[in-house]
Amino acid sequence: MNYLFHIAVMINIYIILSLSLNLIVGVGGMMSLCHAAFYGIGAYIGTLAMVNWGWSFIPALFLSVVGTAALSLLISYPSLKLKGDYFVLGSLGFQSIVFIILYNWIDVTRGPYGISGIPTPNLFGFKIQGLPLWFAFSTTIMGVCVVLISLIMDSPFGRTLRSIRDDEIAAGSLGKNIPWFKIRTFAVAAGFAAVAGMMFSGYMRYIDPTSFTIMESVFILSIIIIGGAGNLQGPIIGAVVLVVLPELLRFVGMPDAIAANMRQIIYGLAMILLIRWRPQGLLGEYKFS
Amino acid sequence: MNLFLQLFLNGLINGCAFALVALGFALVCNTTRIFHFAHGGIYTLSGYLFYSLYTQQGLPIGLAVPLTLAIAALAGILIDLFVYRPLDRQNASTMMHMLSSLGLYIIIVNVICMIYGNNSKILVSGLLPTVKFGGLMLNVVQIATAATFVVVFLGFLALLKFTSLGLKLRAMRDNQTLLSLYGINPDTIRLFVFGAGSALCALAAILVGMDVGIDPHVGMNAVVTAAVALIAGGIGIFEGAAFGALMLGCLQSIAVWQMSARWQDMVTFLVLIIFLLFRPQGIMGRRGRLEEADA
Amino acid sequence: MPDLLSLQNVSKHFGGVQAVDRLSIGFAPGKITALIGPNGAGKTTAFNLIGGLLRPDTGSVRFEDNPISGLNPWRITSLGIGRLFQDVRLFKKMTVLENVMTAFLKQEGESLWRVMLVPWTETGPEKVRREKATELLEKVGLHHLAGTPAENLSYGQQKLVAIARLLAADARLLLLDEPTAGVNPAMIHKLLETVKRLATEGKTVIFVEHNMEVVRNMADWVYFMVAGKVTSFGSPSDVLSDPEVQAAYIGRHTTEAKLTLGGESRVETSRN
Repeated sequence: MNYLFHIAVMINIYIILSLSLNLIVGVGGMMSLCHAAFYGIGAYIGTLAMVNWGWSFIPALFLSVVGTAALSLLISYPSLKLKGDYFVLGSLGFQSIVFIILYNWIDVTRGPYGISGIPTPNLFGFKIQGLPLWFAFSTTIMGVCVVLISLIMDSPFGRTLRSIRDDEIAAGSLGKNIPWFKIRTFAVAAGFAAVAGMMFSGYMRYIDPTSFTIMESVFILSIIIIGGAGNLQGPIIGAVVLVVLPELLRFVGMPDAIAANMRQIIYGLAMILLIRWRPQGLLGEYKFS
Repeated sequence: MNLFLQLFLNGLINGCAFALVALGFALVCNTTRIFHFAHGGIYTLSGYLFYSLYTQQGLPIGLAVPLTLAIAALAGILIDLFVYRPLDRQNASTMMHMLSSLGLYIIIVNVICMIYGNNSKILVSGLLPTVKFGGLMLNVVQIATAATFVVVFLGFLALLKFTSLGLKLRAMRDNQTLLSLYGINPDTIRLFVFGAGSALCALAAILVGMDVGIDPHVGMNAVVTAAVALIAGGIGIFEGAAFGALMLGCLQSIAVWQMSARWQDMVTFLVLIIFLLFRPQGIMGRRGRLEEADA
Repeated sequence: MPDLLSLQNVSKHFGGVQAVDRLSIGFAPGKITALIGPNGAGKTTAFNLIGGLLRPDTGSVRFEDNPISGLNPWRITSLGIGRLFQDVRLFKKMTVLENVMTAFLKQEGESLWRVMLVPWTETGPEKVRREKATELLEKVGLHHLAGTPAENLSYGQQKLVAIARLLAADARLLLLDEPTAGVNPAMIHKLLETVKRLATEGKTVIFVEHNMEVVRNMADWVYFMVAGKVTSFGSPSDVLSDPEVQAAYIGRHTTEAKLTLGGESRVETSRN
């Protein structure tokens, strides 16, 4: 049972990550390879506030969301100038720089040693401890995030963002302030990624930079490509499939050492096959072309 | 000062190795417009292939090198035939090519991990013989790297300038569809582009592998460095990629000298961001606005 | 009546080509004005200068007596200038209704705070927008296609949706770049009817057109441009009977100026 709870917590975290990235990629049409950077920045800001300054979970979460949203300017501002492939490369550069800083700025981040002994979240005197509680807690947070993101997607904001995705010049000629929309999209998506980061750090009680690599960004993007972009169902189903699949490998008796590689091979392959045969993913509505 | 000169020389030689990868990458990217991440996979693959043939099986180097290059070339061609060309036929954007290429990279690297494990491998055991110039020291593989780069680069320039294949490459860079209207089949040139590009990449993988060893994740760094070199030199300019790579090598050595080796990779990405934002056409580029290319 | 929009001494050059050369023209409110002239005369450049996609080298563009040159395109739109692009530019993956609903200016629900914190305040305004958008679609006769993805419409229908979109954006001045190009004849009639009706309702229309029949039918006033300058202007019958204009449209190269136009038009299309 505990094993199922663990998987459910991981699914919840990845649902938040993939749905927030979907705002940038599926709704906004910007192919971004730096979501793990936001995820990592969020995890580190909040965790450092808790560990170094003794902040409790809720203010730390707040700081982490605001800080990550603010730092998203470092990539959203360049995104105004970079189109298509060049933006992908720019986001990859941002992702790499964030990783290098997390890994090498040892005085602050403790670099490769990571941060251990992270306190469990304490909500007004109530400690989130043990897997069943974590399952309930993470599911609640995930639910709140899904509701907020779906509100954004169905709102005039979401509609205007989709219009920018479809034709930037036309949207601009209809009086839409495109830079402002893009900057806010990145900020809100980064904020949600920070929530996922705080869940991850609180749940694992240990973080190090290797959880926030380029490959993690590719993984989150592949959730969207495989599940489908542009709506809610696609990224959610993608997150479930990609988290559960490797666990199934364990059931068929594959040793753990190989299963990790096998998981990546499977999603690499799934990406190639879906782009070729089903560009809208399993359940998506937006077709990459 | 001597330390700086030594580091600078090392950086220049690293730059020569980057340049081999970057020339291969530029061959593919300039002619097909595909951001060929799988190039990094080929890099890793060739390194391990050479490790198997040379270090494990004990094949003579004169046999192991050509064999590795040939297999790398074949792998590059197969990737084009079975992944990129089907995407071309359905008119997929360069973005879809790029994502498929990333998928391929992931597959190649993880298959290698499953076969060889996650640890790094030493290709040549023991210390490499070194040569001293004044107060500076280079090992034989470093010298071989520099020599290989010079020969390949000159050969490459000659190919571009003096052969009909070079002319076709330059024409394909400017307009792939136009080329087929003149009765030249771009598909045959693509065979060359992917084959030769991958072989160059393999050459670099062997040289770097013999010098410092390999691990399954070196490919990403190699291909990203190549991509940055191409952007810094100017997309569409074959020799630009080589200059960009040499520049990156030198800048990295300065970073090592001024700060520490830990921040060496940071240079690559800072150069990337600076060029993307302020000079997207690269050092040698002429065209005004790069972002219009895919509009 | 003072002009709604005026260009005063506006110039724009691309490299060595003078696309618009010290142009001073005005457009009266509630009138339909045609800009005609051979390819490369600077008509589309003039539109881009008005719409804010280009910034004039010299001179100023004034709308309701306020200078607008140098403002961002989205600001100029919010003042009430709407543009129908030559290639329409609908939001292809969105439905016809969504296309129109997107266009309303100052939607409160474009604020993320409001959307996340007080989402219920949006239901009312969204309902109003939906009704207004449906009304506008009725006006252009396309309400039956409201739920269709825009990419499935015919070219003429797409232009009508684009016009409805401009109306939703509260455009008082409509810039129509070759409205009839590529539209099938049956649809042209409907399109022109719609535009005429809008003018009688008080909209000001400026259009670029190559079809002289359409110009004669629609325009209250015509400017004829060559090489970035207006060389002839007046009522359609006056301008179209001008020998120079006739020469341009029959295709005789009477003056040396026109020989240079071929080169110029290539420059201009590459900028579009």
